[in-house]
Amino acid sequence: MESILQLFEVPFHFLRVPIVRLKTPTFPSFSPMLVFCFVFLTYFLVLSGIIYDVIIEPPSIGSSRDEATGSVKPIVFMKYRLNGQFIIEGLSAGMLFSIGGLGVIILHRSSQKLQSEKVRYLLILAGVLCVMVSYNLCILFLRNKIPGYQKSF
Amino acid sequence: YQRRVRGCIAMKTQTFARIAFRLSSTKQEILLRIVVLTLIYIIAFSTRLFSVIRFESVIHEFDPYFNFRSTKYLVNEGFYNFINWFDSAAWYPLGRIVGGTIYPGLMLTAAAVYWIAHFFHVTLQIRNVCVLLAPFFASNTALITYLFAKEVSDSAGTGLVASAMIAIVPGYISRSVAGSYDNEGIAIFALILTFYLWVKSVKTGSLFYSTLCALAYFYMVSAWGGYVFIINLIPMHVLILLFTGRYSNRLYIAYCTLYVLGTILAMQISFVGFQAVQSAEHMLALGTFGLLQLFVGVNWIKKHIGAELFQSFFRIAASIGIGSFVTALAIGQATGYISPWTGRFWTLLDPTYAKEHIPIIASVSEHQPTTWSSFFFDLHLLVFLFPAGMYFCFRRLTDANIFAILYGITSVYFAGVMVRLMLVLAPISCVLSSIAVSETLDTYLKFVKGRKGKKVEEFPAQKEIGLVMVAGLTVLLVLYVFHCTWVTSEAYSSPSIVLAAKQPDGSRMIFDDFREAYWWLRQNTEPDARVMSWWDYGYQISAMANRTVLVDNNTWNNSHIALVGKAFASNEDTAYQIMRQLDVDYVLVIFGGLTGYASDDINKFLWMVRIGGSTDPNIKESDYFTPSGEFRVDSQGSSVLLNCLMYKLCYYRFGQVYTEKGRSSGYDRVRNTEIGNKDFELDYLDEAYTSQHWIVRIYKVRSPDNRG
Repeated sequence: MESILQLFEVPFHFLRVPIVRLKTPTFPSFSPMLVFCFVFLTYFLVLSGIIYDVIIEPPSIGSSRDEATGSVKPIVFMKYRLNGQFIIEGLSAGMLFSIGGLGVIILHRSSQKLQSEKVRYLLILAGVLCVMVSYNLCILFLRNKIPGYQKSF
Repeated sequence: YQRRVRGCIAMKTQTFARIAFRLSSTKQEILLRIVVLTLIYIIAFSTRLFSVIRFESVIHEFDPYFNFRSTKYLVNEGFYNFINWFDSAAWYPLGRIVGGTIYPGLMLTAAAVYWIAHFFHVTLQIRNVCVLLAPFFASNTALITYLFAKEVSDSAGTGLVASAMIAIVPGYISRSVAGSYDNEGIAIFALILTFYLWVKSVKTGSLFYSTLCALAYFYMVSAWGGYVFIINLIPMHVLILLFTGRYSNRLYIAYCTLYVLGTILAMQISFVGFQAVQSAEHMLALGTFGLLQLFVGVNWIKKHIGAELFQSFFRIAASIGIGSFVTALAIGQATGYISPWTGRFWTLLDPTYAKEHIPIIASVSEHQPTTWSSFFFDLHLLVFLFPAGMYFCFRRLTDANIFAILYGITSVYFAGVMVRLMLVLAPISCVLSSIAVSETLDTYLKFVKGRKGKKVEEFPAQKEIGLVMVAGLTVLLVLYVFHCTWVTSEAYSSPSIVLAAKQPDGSRMIFDDFREAYWWLRQNTEPDARVMSWWDYGYQISAMANRTVLVDNNTWNNSHIALVGKAFASNEDTAYQIMRQLDVDYVLVIFGGLTGYASDDINKFLWMVRIGGSTDPNIKESDYFTPSGEFRVDSQGSSVLLNCLMYKLCYYRFGQVYTEKGRSSGYDRVRNTEIGNKDFELDYLDEAYTSQHWIVRIYKVRSPDNRG
């Protein structure tokens, strides 16, 4: 046993060990809210249909020819189909979904302890605006996309 | 005397009212919960009955017909004959080992319901059991979601909101409507049950709940191929809890029990078999199991020896351990013992894979990536509340919350890759949205009520703001209900075996061509006749016409399908050779040109060419396009297309038919053009039957001429 240990010591008789200050890598700790921001960003991207964009590669905006003048008119929404979209259309809808989510979060923050009352009312106004505007715009987008989307029972 | 009697009765009713309504507040709460859950149960069932009321109790789509035929076989022949069933009437001449290639949970559940009902002398027909099984299990899912949300958030109110939302969410309804007798109908119930029991066992560390979780996982494995999601999500949850320092004994007990019992049980399903320990999809679970043992072992050793000794020991042990694990994995991968990810699941990780390599997977419309409108259409309000619910979970992290977050993130990604997986996203979006709704309502109702005793932040107009918020949320939820019901009624309740169209005067016209043609086949052909059609219709022909088919929706043999595709894409002489080789008696095609039915075989034709061309290089897709690259069936169309078998079978005698006012004869109402090749005769086939609206056309293959 002793001789084996002495054998291991032999290289260090002519090699000099450098002084190296290394720390074992530690797993970086993230705060939960930082992770939430990252998750929120992913949510925005996926719900904009980015995977559809990457695979099917639709144009970023549609176009149609105006018969009278011959100029090219842009078309934002791919009509009559739920399973097709243009890139810009997808991203703007994803933006609306995220704003709506942020609105609900803002409304919650406004009910917590705050510095001043003005901030509280501003937050409530902002939250209500976010939710209402994003919801109504989404319905408008959907109505534009599928002309048959009425409450026709 | 009368006044005294009246006084007596009044006093008696008063005391009765006081006694009856003097329930304690907890009892009132429980009564309210039971009433709400009963109403949710009824709603979840009844909202799925649109197609049964409008048409009849009939099985929808394609896949459910195979499940229905298997269930009938199970009920008539018995359990062991079902497990050992070899079906020689499909995939002629190969046959199909049904017992080993299906997930039997669905058929066994339906048969169990049927046998229990018959035991109590309630003689339901098997068809009605199959049609109504999915709504029944949807109601059960609503109940289990109540329990699951209650476990995740520790609040019964959240559970009730989640349960109400999942009862009507369109993403789930689309696959569980009455008549949609498919695996997903019971799989979502099994999924939520497994997750509920998992969360419960992590929270309590009880062996009882862990074992129940393993049994629920077994039910899920028997029900759907999506069980791979569970066996990867739960290990991910365990790993995240380990890495965030939330290890506890409860986690150890829960996961070890679930993994060991669950894997052994999963191997009892013949379709899974040894895949549960060999295939790459299950490796994460195995790795986590090993890692957990290592973690616990290392901690145990650390307790028993000193700190410095532990450091050196840990370094040596870790390097040996990791080295041997990596070599074992490498050897396993190299020798092929660990089979790589199958194409279906690899597509989820690398979405571009199917488009390049496996055209059959790429051709199914359910496997396309999801657009924003599919998300909004299927989830409506939940897309806004989902991130808010996640925010509330991140604020107060607990073991159960972390599971909900993880489930949410992974299911959003997978739903983005494949439209069909929106189904897996629907339950967790209901749960997370209900957390958001519940927290918001809690906060603002406190403003309205004002809590007794504790100090609440007082600010002017508090009560009014609270009322406005609650009213606004209520309005949004009501709009959600309107949307869900409209979507269910208009978009997801079509049987697809029966088509309906609104005429200009508002009345409804029914196209029942499919069933008409299949019954003609059943009653006018020899019992052992073989029918060639595209694989979409195989299950329906097997179930309704009861005839042998060449290829069906199972699509397990790509080269057999390619052979059929080649037959349809070649001219009549080549096609006749293939049909004689395969012993085909009848050919069935779907043609929508007369009615404007757009999902017909001419629109699917390019897929036949692509799949046929994947095995036979002589079939080139470019041959079927015009020189300018368009797919046209009129006189400008490519001559290869105008003379192929599919073209001839679809448009035989169509050239003499007038379909629209002001157009010449032979006007195809789907492609919106007059066909190019009108007057031709078939050399090797005879027209046997064309349905009323020309949707289904059946041809008989002529036997070869006598010699001489």
